[in-house]
Amino acid sequence: MLAQKILTRNPKAELYYDLVELLTGVTLVGFLWTHMLFVATILLGKNTFNSLSQALDDYYLSYVGIPFIILVFMMHILTAGRRLPTRYQEQQIIWRHAKMLEGADTWVWVFQVITGAAIFALGSIHMWVVISGWPISAMTSAERMQAFWWFYLVLLILGEYHAGFGIYRQFVKWGWFPRKPLGYISKVITAIILTLGLAALWVFLKLGGA
Amino acid sequence: MSIQRKFSIFRYNPNTPDVKPFMQEYVIEEPQSMTIFTALNKIREEQDPSLMFDFVCRAAICGSCAMVINGKPRLACKTLTTDFSGTITLMPLPVFKLVGDLSVDTGAWFRHLSLKTKAWVHTDKEFDPNAAEERMDNETALLIYEAERCIECGCCIAGCVTANIREDFLGAAGINRVARFMVDPRDERSGNEYFEVIGSDEGAFGCMGLMACDDNCPMQLPLQLQLSFVRRKMLAFGLSK
Ligand code: HEM
Ligand code: SF4
Ligand code: SF4
Ligand code: FES
Repeated sequence: MLAQKILTRNPKAELYYDLVELLTGVTLVGFLWTHMLFVATILLGKNTFNSLSQALDDYYLSYVGIPFIILVFMMHILTAGRRLPTRYQEQQIIWRHAKMLEGADTWVWVFQVITGAAIFALGSIHMWVVISGWPISAMTSAERMQAFWWFYLVLLILGEYHAGFGIYRQFVKWGWFPRKPLGYISKVITAIILTLGLAALWVFLKLGGA
Repeated sequence: MSIQRKFSIFRYNPNTPDVKPFMQEYVIEEPQSMTIFTALNKIREEQDPSLMFDFVCRAAICGSCAMVINGKPRLACKTLTTDFSGTITLMPLPVFKLVGDLSVDTGAWFRHLSLKTKAWVHTDKEFDPNAAEERMDNETALLIYEAERCIECGCCIAGCVTANIREDFLGAAGINRVARFMVDPRDERSGNEYFEVIGSDEGAFGCMGLMACDDNCPMQLPLQLQLSFVRRKMLAFGLSK
């Protein structure tokens, strides 16, 4: 063994990385789905949306929740992101391999990586914009959606894809449930959340016009 | 009734590196149905004695005839030409050392795997050839048998993205091998010792769960279950000490 490797060896390191990847992945998916349900309260009316936002603010849930999620987000990038193929040859091998194999799960993973990288950029922008426009209210949100509906549409689709298939694969890797029904359930939940998200986006666009 | 069947076959000989890899086409008469293995022998006998490929048992036992058939890792002796319409494309398995054309050296890879995972029963008990064999309950015996059905064909390794980009990854066959010893009560290795062997990105945690192994194992080993079983065990061992 090489000196530098003996000196830095920690047999548990990769276990901890995998564990953090698991926990941050699950937390982010839980967050994203909850977040979309919160956003969808706009379907029940402006007032419901505003009072929810107000309540989260009043009980300081936003001030605890948001920094926590940002931290989890960053830890997820460091752990799940370590699987990103960064070398040109790796990317070529994976691309060729996915084309050759036509294995559904392999393609799903390739897009998992691509959507992950995209969410890194778009999600950061989204958080920045929302936080700098604090507090959240139906009218300010509607204005943002009016101006940048295409941005939110892309982020919504990428986010749901990444979360839905991400949680599927975590369960597959850890083997808590059988594979086939799992794929089905995660697709159904993703479809529901996506529909809610699209509906909310639509309502916001209407609101902005009013 | 027989039809004409076209094959497109990868050709490359590492001994003549000046000749770049290329795809060569062959057309043969196809009787009602034949295996890819039979077809390859026909091509070699009737058209091109220089074509390299491996086989031994021709009955899905030895694992030497695995290759990429129309994009999927398959056993040539267990795959029928009639499963496909049109041209059949044959490529050698990736990851393993290319001997030439469709022939790869899976032996060296699996030997390394056996050494690395120390794939033998570790025990301090003295073997007594005169004593009656120790009993094992049927359930355990079946679990071990299930894992032992692996014929070391390499299909799971070739299909795995991780194994394709990371040379040190032991893949589903390697993790399955360790699972086999973990359920064996005769193996006295501690959780710690197993963790040393496979509790890293070379083993359990390197797997990204893309299930190409599970989809492509010609022996239908329950690889997803084995991989997740070992992953959970490694988590438990790793956190418990
Ligand atoms: C900062 C932006 C993000 C990046 C760069 C990123 C990147 C990645 C990558 C590369 C993977 C594949 C890891 C693997 O195969 O093991 C992954 C998996 C995953 N991501 Fe993300 N992701 C991001 C944001 C998110 C968000 C916001 C969520 C939640 C909605 C999420 C949920 C997941 C889940 C559940 C997995 C599966 C983890 C696993 O297989 O162990 N990610 N992510
Ligand atoms: S599930 Fe794991 S071992 Fe199997 S192909 Fe995928 S990454 Fe490789
Ligand atoms: S686990 Fe299956 S695919 Fe992998 S080497 Fe064994 S028999 Fe072949
Ligand atoms: S020749 Fe033995 S498995 Fe195909």
